[in-house]
Amino acid sequence: MDCHESNALLQAYGDGELDPVRSAEIERHLIGCKECAARRDDLAALRARIRADVPYHRAPAAVRARALAALDAAVSAPAPTRPPRDRWSWLTAGALAGCAATVLAWFVGTAVLDWQADHDLVSEAVTNHTRATLGNRLIDVASSDQHTVKPWLSARLDYSPPVQDLSAEGFPLAGGRLDYLDRHPVATLVYRYRQHTIDVFVRPLAAKTPEAAPPKLATQRGFNVVHETGSGMEWWAVSDVNSEVLTDFLRHLARGT
Amino acid sequence: MKSAHVDRARFEQAVLPQLDAAYNLARWLTHSGNDAEDVVQEACERALRYFEAFRGGDAKAWFLTIVRHASYDWIKRNRPAEIAPGDGTEAIENATDPAGVTPEQAVMRDAAGNALNEAIAALPPGYREVLILRELEELSYKEIARVADIPIGTVMSRLARARSMLQRSPLLHAIREGNAGRG
Repeated sequence: MDCHESNALLQAYGDGELDPVRSAEIERHLIGCKECAARRDDLAALRARIRADVPYHRAPAAVRARALAALDAAVSAPAPTRPPRDRWSWLTAGALAGCAATVLAWFVGTAVLDWQADHDLVSEAVTNHTRATLGNRLIDVASSDQHTVKPWLSARLDYSPPVQDLSAEGFPLAGGRLDYLDRHPVATLVYRYRQHTIDVFVRPLAAKTPEAAPPKLATQRGFNVVHETGSGMEWWAVSDVNSEVLTDFLRHLARGT
Repeated sequence: MKSAHVDRARFEQAVLPQLDAAYNLARWLTHSGNDAEDVVQEACERALRYFEAFRGGDAKAWFLTIVRHASYDWIKRNRPAEIAPGDGTEAIENATDPAGVTPEQAVMRDAAGNALNEAIAALPPGYREVLILRELEELSYKEIARVADIPIGTVMSRLARARSMLQRSPLLHAIREGNAGRG
């Protein structure tokens, strides 16, 4: 290989785009040719500087939020396949029919639909949590002050979630963010517990959800998800904190005491 | 939006992981964070519209292609003067001679780690994009060719040209000398 050829291939060589045979040829040439070796070193130095000094602009939280909103809009544009609120009305209707077959169907139907709806919400909540903790979007408003977090959330939602700092109980409030649950923006409170992060999703209680719904617990991909109702809100907590601690914590939060 | 049904999970898997790359490319092409946000948003909406046509495979190259188009459309709409006809080679003169920056000023800027960024930002868009895709996204020549819609040979020649412009950039030379003087 001569200098002319080496010159033509030096960039591709540095970019790892040359096949092994060509790479070996150019390497042989570089050993014997000071000029070409210097050019290679210049290119390597430039690459090193670019990687060290040139910023990779990561997407800010707003980009992700807007992308998700656009996705929500696109997904819900065609007739939704399973409107979540409607299942209650037809479940009620089914119960009223009263005959044995309907009752049986009702039991089966309730179990399946409940399981499915809860399962969807649970997996959505877990996905939100992992996306937030893995990405750079855990907290939009960082504050341990409930009087900072609450108005920030209220300003961006059509409801005002109760916000409490539970530092005294070992759960300091770290901040809040806006997330999406069940196709709607949802207030998300971020708490710390020792080395763990807890996401709490809060939304107004749907009119037909029984106020005294028993706490539900689910585990998905190693994360515990706890559900509570209280203070006119529906609460979901997601974390890798153990389920008993998480249940107590959320009950405390939901009661607002 | 009147779109065909979008498979949410599939879209999340294909497109959401590319948002950083998308924003980075848009940011380098538009020179502005706010503009890049709008461009990525526009690209997401286009991606949702065309998602059914995406047959799987290289989601990053697919989405970055859309982002690139959205970036240039945005620039055309808002700052048409920046787009030189053809491949942007007309802007080379500006690139090799950054307007009015003296070596002293350049050395000062090095303190903020800015000189190289400015030299890259001053490259004509056709050269800037292949450099960013190669050095920051670490795409292969083949992927760059796909995203930038040019033959692989052109990818190679633009990369070589972009690098030599940077190496000859007065900004960077000033820095090198400045560093040598200090070191």
